[in-house]
Amino acid sequence: MRILTLLSLLAVTSVLPFDRAQAQEITDPHAIAKQAEIAAYYAGDDGRSAARMMITDAQGRTQLRQFIILRKDHSDGGRQDMLVFFSRPADVRDTVFRVAKNIEREDDRWLYLPGLDLIKRISAGDKRTSFVGSHFFYEDVSGRGTSLDDFELISETDAHYVLKATPLDPASVEFSHYEVRIDKNTMLPLKSRFYNAKGEAYREVEAVTIEEIQGYPTVTHSRVKDLVSGGQTEMQFRFTSYNLDLPDSIFSERSMRNPPTEWLELRD
Amino acid sequence: MVNLLLTLSTRHRRWVFWALAALTLALASQLPRITIDTDPENMLPVDHPQRAFHNQAKETFSMHDMIVVGVVSENSIYDPATLTALHSVARFSAGLDGVIAADLMSLADVDNISQAEPGTIRFEWMMKTPPETVSEALAIRDQVADLPLLYNTIVADSDQAAAIYVPIKDKNESYRLAEQIRGHINSLDSADDWHITGLPVAEDQFGYEMFVQMGISAPLAGLVIFILLYMFFRNVPFILAAMIVAMATVVITMGLLIGLGFTVHIMSSMIAIFLMPIAVVDSVHILSEFADRHKPGDDVKNTLADVMRHLFQPMLFTSVTSAVGFLSLLLTPIPPVQIFGAFVGFGILLAFVITVIFVPAYISALKPATLARLSKVEAAQGGRFARTIQGLGKRSGRYAKFWVAAFIAISAISVVGIQQININDNPIRWFKEGHEIRVADKVLNKHFAGTYDAYLVLQSKADSQQLLVNAMDKQLSNAALTTKTRNWLAEQRDALLGDMAAGEFIWNLEDKLYEVKGAEAEALSELMQSAEQLGSNSKTFTSPAILAYMDGLQDYLLTTGLVGKSNSLADVVKTVNRELGSGAPEDYAIPASAQGVAQVLMQYQSSHRPQDLWHFVTPDYQQSLIWLQLTSGDNQHMTAVTAAVDTYLDTHPLPAGLELNWAGKAYLNVVWQEAMVEGMLASLISAFVVVFVMMVVLFRSLVFGVLAMLPLTLTISFIYGLIGWIGKDYDMPIAVLSSLTLGLSVDFAIHFIERARATQAETKDWQSTLSILFDEPARAISRNAIVIAVGFTPLLFAPLVPYITVGVFLASIMAISALVTLIMLPAVMTLARRLIFKTEN
Repeated sequence: MRILTLLSLLAVTSVLPFDRAQAQEITDPHAIAKQAEIAAYYAGDDGRSAARMMITDAQGRTQLRQFIILRKDHSDGGRQDMLVFFSRPADVRDTVFRVAKNIEREDDRWLYLPGLDLIKRISAGDKRTSFVGSHFFYEDVSGRGTSLDDFELISETDAHYVLKATPLDPASVEFSHYEVRIDKNTMLPLKSRFYNAKGEAYREVEAVTIEEIQGYPTVTHSRVKDLVSGGQTEMQFRFTSYNLDLPDSIFSERSMRNPPTEWLELRD
Repeated sequence: MVNLLLTLSTRHRRWVFWALAALTLALASQLPRITIDTDPENMLPVDHPQRAFHNQAKETFSMHDMIVVGVVSENSIYDPATLTALHSVARFSAGLDGVIAADLMSLADVDNISQAEPGTIRFEWMMKTPPETVSEALAIRDQVADLPLLYNTIVADSDQAAAIYVPIKDKNESYRLAEQIRGHINSLDSADDWHITGLPVAEDQFGYEMFVQMGISAPLAGLVIFILLYMFFRNVPFILAAMIVAMATVVITMGLLIGLGFTVHIMSSMIAIFLMPIAVVDSVHILSEFADRHKPGDDVKNTLADVMRHLFQPMLFTSVTSAVGFLSLLLTPIPPVQIFGAFVGFGILLAFVITVIFVPAYISALKPATLARLSKVEAAQGGRFARTIQGLGKRSGRYAKFWVAAFIAISAISVVGIQQININDNPIRWFKEGHEIRVADKVLNKHFAGTYDAYLVLQSKADSQQLLVNAMDKQLSNAALTTKTRNWLAEQRDALLGDMAAGEFIWNLEDKLYEVKGAEAEALSELMQSAEQLGSNSKTFTSPAILAYMDGLQDYLLTTGLVGKSNSLADVVKTVNRELGSGAPEDYAIPASAQGVAQVLMQYQSSHRPQDLWHFVTPDYQQSLIWLQLTSGDNQHMTAVTAAVDTYLDTHPLPAGLELNWAGKAYLNVVWQEAMVEGMLASLISAFVVVFVMMVVLFRSLVFGVLAMLPLTLTISFIYGLIGWIGKDYDMPIAVLSSLTLGLSVDFAIHFIERARATQAETKDWQSTLSILFDEPARAISRNAIVIAVGFTPLLFAPLVPYITVGVFLASIMAISALVTLIMLPAVMTLARRLIFKTEN
């Protein structure tokens, strides 16, 4: 399994997307899931992206969120550092969210609120809470560890794998299972549907647009829908670039109060 | 005219029978289409501004109709067994179709905001899985006690009760949902007491009991009237005439109401029981007089002609005056009361028409043998009933001065009583004491901060959208823009004036900024800056000063003792700020800057239930809601709360640019009560004037007109004085009684005065006139009073309090007004006979 993971990792990161032959080799559902995780969350050694979200509630009312994400991987599928700098709306400008993603233990998360001049650690715990009021969860932003679910390949076509994921600890999540359709070309998850105990789909996360950036297939537009209330959040990514050689030092508490401005300049 | 009618109806009686049968059957076919309406909101017209505002506020802040499930434990609910049951009921309820699971509130559904370890903040489910030990259960208590928004709302500070608030999509489904939840609770074998309440449940239950009322009371009224008539006339075929009139009137009127698409509301559900006794009144007069006059061997048609000539005019007038009393309800601004008034008024006129056409036709078709039995009974009955009535007549004439003095004294006392009338209502008290809904209401309000909701909605008056449009206009005239960009901007402007949000424009503008260069980019950047600035400025409810104002208002409300608890955005901000800070009480405060508030709120949105924020503020932060929990649904109580807020506003003016409005069921009840009290006064006064004018016209005499109004004026004053003295609340059913009493009780005076004048003209001697008056005429009046009074008594067996109130009061009003008529009129006429009969003699 480890070998397979390594192989698949190579397939995505170096050989590049449209090599179908490699991808079709995989039959172990866990390996597919792991590879999808890497494709979605570990492209390049590091990366930067300007993101914006439009959150629409059931009544059609909207809220905006705009932020820049800096990310650096320690190893693909392994530890990862992340910084999220908010710029809109104006009254939350300079709010910073910092994550140190761990594999063996819970992630470390911190928060800087300039309005209160406060850095706060977010206690380890449930990551299936809303990401700043959107329909995305924290876990959608940082990635749900593939070790948390049991995977089953429920169908396969020339273009897609469809996996059914069942949580190993059902009490820790709000879904009873989810199904994810993964593109064989890019190994990116295209659509995940979450089901409740009654077997009804209530939530859907979808990659709307995929672009190739510096050779990495990248989701530049995604959408999560609340199938019950009708609310949704659109997230768009711009100015995505990979392998910037972000220094380790910027992923620190210091950067939260004093953002590393040179790395946040978008127009190059 | 009377003769022609009589000839036609008796000669073509088959036609009369068939036509009545056909009409009745045709409209009876509409009855199954009945739709029940139990929504107290419908006491106000759909487009009533305060009702529309209430519904808008409910929608804006997602304040759904709720079923409230309460669990009460003898010792403590913080026990694994109780919390396991609570968890199970909450999960079961959330899974039901028709429940808005995302907004369901209970220990098992809410988030705990806490500091898991020093210096950290944590959002986690309060009770994702039920506790297994008592100490785990007690840990939940400690956590929830720290969250002001939840404490005393989903758990009681007595530790003995917890609640599950189940929001539902359609309140018409509440009965089914409540039944399913009840079934689940029963399957749990819980040792605790469970209660299910909430307005939608009460409404549904009310609808069910309305059906019971209609199913029981109306037929029972029919039966009672039948028995009474039998006691009077001892002749079944004869009294069937009256019963047929009553049945046909009720069926046609109700069929018409339903056929025309009106819903049956609490008021219209009483139409049948109102019409039943009123409809037989005219028939009783005809039957009474016919029985008196008809001797064996007489030509039935001649007797009928005599009777009808005698009675046609007074019957027409009494019917019209009764109808006027009910039709005056059209002047109230309460649609169900209007429909009730209109259809009862119509029914009374219909009953008159059916009576004058059908009853003579029916009697003329009876066998002579049947009619022959009548006179015997009438003669035999002369006995005690007649003697009592005669005695009454003697006394009223002899002690005339005493009676008049007594009536003046009663009027004076009544006026004082009327001034003490207590205007109040409470829909939950429409259920009887001991009804499970009232029990649940009592228990839950004892334990919690209150299950009655009122909302204070604060909103910014600033039109930020217009300011943004102005900023766009400025750039539209900027020469730097290309035609393409200008067109785009003009389109955006139009969309913004339509229903596009400012946020969407910022989103689109940002896209555009990437496309343009140079001077264009500068122009659009400037616009972007203005748009963002306007966006920030328009976020009224992130302002610490405004939140502090709301906080102050809430503190004040708590000191009045009228409000169990209030919840607002200020509470959300303070709680989250505390947990972001030290977690200690001194950090339970509003941040110093609007940015601080916005950042605190973004953290609140990072929970499992981000949408909870929108119960207290709109996403544009221009409207905010303070949720008041009251422990009583008394309108008086709610009125005191609004008065308290007004007082506060006098000394603490609202921050500039804000306006404050009320919404919420408890408040809406006050609105329609006030509308009703005002409307009832208008309806009473107009009915009084119309009836008075009719009396003057009927008797062609101002003096007799005044005389006719005297007994009912005294009766109404007496009844309302009594209500004031005994402290019975002036509520919906009491309010409705006034104008219809007027229409009904004037009937007695009309018959009495009409006969008095006719008799006086013959005898020219007042003492002999009095003696004759207290023979057949007084007997007919008494009979009718008894029929109507007793006809309403089946309402006493109704399952709902308003029906009982109406039954008790109408029965007493009828009895009192008949008595007053028979005592007061002779007394006054005795004293003032010179003035009264001056013209006649």
